[in-house]
Amino acid sequence: MESSSNNSLPTQFPVSHKSFSLNIKGNKTDIVICKYDDCFMVMATQIGCMGTILHARKEESVSTDPTFHVAVIFGKRDEPFLVACARQLIEHISSYGSTRPLVLSLGLKDHSPGSMKEIIYAVIENRLW
Amino acid sequence: MASEELEENLSELQIGENGEKKPVENDVSEGAVKVSCFTEDLQDVTLHFQIVNFSKQIYAWIGCNSAKLGHLYAAATTRPNNNVSVTSLLGSTSDNTGSSIARRIVLKTGLNVVIACNIPKDSPMLEATAERKLVERLASLGYFRPKEKHSN
Repeated sequence: MESSSNNSLPTQFPVSHKSFSLNIKGNKTDIVICKYDDCFMVMATQIGCMGTILHARKEESVSTDPTFHVAVIFGKRDEPFLVACARQLIEHISSYGSTRPLVLSLGLKDHSPGSMKEIIYAVIENRLW
Repeated sequence: MASEELEENLSELQIGENGEKKPVENDVSEGAVKVSCFTEDLQDVTLHFQIVNFSKQIYAWIGCNSAKLGHLYAAATTRPNNNVSVTSLLGSTSDNTGSSIARRIVLKTGLNVVIACNIPKDSPMLEATAERKLVERLASLGYFRPKEKHSN
């Protein structure tokens, strides 16, 4: 797995990022994770473009259990595993104490649960939150 | 003549380390997707740029004094006639700073673009400067269509 990040530049660029590549079920998958001031962006692609873009946010409520809102803002709206992937990641972000929303882009050849899990594991392993 | 054609055909076949043929077309870089980050300090404003080079798309972020994502736009050529269409994905629809940048990048590169921009509203000069800097960097990365030669 090749990875690069800009965390060691002398004049720090305000947005930190990680870029790496891995093989998921025979498909080369490029993943870029960026940390902005007000959100996280995760891009995972197997097709050379961003694909479907989702927005996931945590909704603060009175009760102790947080609720999350996930929406497809561009692309496939009939693939439930894409929404599930965003939901998993926003919950993980929330469990680490961050309330920032997530912009997730998935350009995948294979929408199987197995591929989604591998992407989620890879993102969590290289998280910036 | 035959030897020239032979040389051209041979140059189209790049033999990799494992003896596999590599097609010579748009350079799909092996390994991770390339992310270019740079900053431009203007007189009273600092512009940050981040470009992610996908093979069939461009993602760019323009930050004005801050590292907020800002408004997100997608732009592409659409049927019929390949006219460029822009849509706002995130952010209020009353503020369309950045949408014109997205549109012009598509016109120049022919690729789909997704632009995130947090330049404040009603700053056309700043928007123009940001677009110029972004276009310069995209040109250096080889994204622009070659100009057609007109034969007279």
